[in-house]
Amino acid sequence: LNLIFEKGSYKDPAGQVFYYNDSVYRALTKEGVKRFNEIKNKGIIDESISKKFLIDTKVIDSEYFSEHLNKYYLFLEHKKINFVSYPYEWCFEQLKQAALHHLNFQIFLLERDCVLIDASAYNIQFNNTKPIFIDVLSIENYKYGSYWFGHKQFCEQFLNPLLISSAKNINFNNWFKGNLDGISTSDTNSILSFKDKINPSVFTHVFLLDRLQKKTIENPKETIRKLNKKKNISKETYKYLLLNLKNFITKLKISNNKSLWQNYSINNTYSFQEESLKKKIIANFSQKNKFNCLVDLGCNNGTYSFLSLESGSKNVIGFDYDLNALNDSFIKAKKNSSNFLPLYMDVSNPSANLGWDENERKNISSRAKFDGMIALALIHHLCIAKNIPLENAINWLVSFAPKGIIEFVPKNDETIIKMLQLREDIFSDYTAENFENILKKKTKIIEKKIISSSGRTLYEYQAI
Amino acid sequence: MNFNFFFYSLLLIFFFITPSYSYLDPGSSSILLQAIIGFIAAVGATISIYWKKFKNFIKKIFKKDK
Repeated sequence: LNLIFEKGSYKDPAGQVFYYNDSVYRALTKEGVKRFNEIKNKGIIDESISKKFLIDTKVIDSEYFSEHLNKYYLFLEHKKINFVSYPYEWCFEQLKQAALHHLNFQIFLLERDCVLIDASAYNIQFNNTKPIFIDVLSIENYKYGSYWFGHKQFCEQFLNPLLISSAKNINFNNWFKGNLDGISTSDTNSILSFKDKINPSVFTHVFLLDRLQKKTIENPKETIRKLNKKKNISKETYKYLLLNLKNFITKLKISNNKSLWQNYSINNTYSFQEESLKKKIIANFSQKNKFNCLVDLGCNNGTYSFLSLESGSKNVIGFDYDLNALNDSFIKAKKNSSNFLPLYMDVSNPSANLGWDENERKNISSRAKFDGMIALALIHHLCIAKNIPLENAINWLVSFAPKGIIEFVPKNDETIIKMLQLREDIFSDYTAENFENILKKKTKIIEKKIISSSGRTLYEYQAI
Repeated sequence: MNFNFFFYSLLLIFFFITPSYSYLDPGSSSILLQAIIGFIAAVGATISIYWKKFKNFIKKIFKKDK
């Protein structure tokens, strides 16, 4: 059997996630079976699935796998997610929705005498715009008086990134990618001002927590003594903590500063006719191919992603590095229940393999299974703004999917003229002719259409 | 010389004693925070019970007066 084990699934020895034939499974040890059955027998699993808190999960015939995996006693199959994403690829609104999903799920469980054993943001995935909890083994029975053990993790992976983004307009993404555990409470406390800390929730979960952490480091004996004196918290206090954070996070808003690309679709450099021709070509492309999962590289606020969905694509994953534009597109997609997942990516520095053994969190290309690709007004950002050689840029773009459309922006276009105004033009290779020759070498060009007076051209290609 | 030896020996002893605590789970501060919140909530609840009793007591007095 060609089983692929998920390398990121090592933290809980009670289970192991693996892939087989494009499906997702989880193998449970004796301890895992015990934990799972206790919860399942209470009806929690089924209710969590029907209330859309937990990913669709079913017990499957174990004989099929047990022959090869004799350490495990029970096998579960989970519904597959279109594209696995990580918190450092989410915009503010996505992390906020994930945080609220976690808290709502915890409250739901606590009311049924169950809890989540941790608060990892990686345990939440997006099915288009809807957050869903994926780690069934994170649910266990609530023991009366027990603390919320995921509190510190919740602060680092949800609360603190949201806070620095909302209060200080600092994008959490690159920081989060550098430290997969999130943003520490100590760092958050250093960044926030006195005014920010007047808020009772910030005071408690950031300022006070940081002070206690520092005191613990200075005098661990004292912390142990205090902890021994007070051994538990009531269920009401546990629930109060969750509700307090839920109310606070619900009110958090992204900072109002407009970004460079946020209004790009309104303030771009081409005319209405040119834009409508471009739209027509993209719509035809989706209509003709009816993609299962299209990737929109440089999706901005999702104009062409939404158009592709309306024209026949089933799902669209969009990437851009402008977090404000992504935030707007996520809110729009959520409002319209579109099958669109916008994600953060700097094209010159896409998410790499990260974490333990460089394999805990995967790079973009190994998570991708796209059947279509559009890269509109992007190539000049790769080649001119980031100095990436034209051939490398084309190779990278066409590696995403067997079919696609790339927009070539020539040097006499207003955008590139602006880009080159204050720097030397060292890009002699960047010509339409070279672009076409390289693309021809790699793919079969299906159609070529000039869409603007400056000579912007859409190339539709197909893998050879 | 002797003093230095004594001082550094003592320091070393302290360093050998303390590491067991330096591995204290950083999550313990979060637990301590929750214990404090729990304590404040309990005090708050007690105060609110007595406040209600006090309010009822005052109400009764005024009702009697009427």
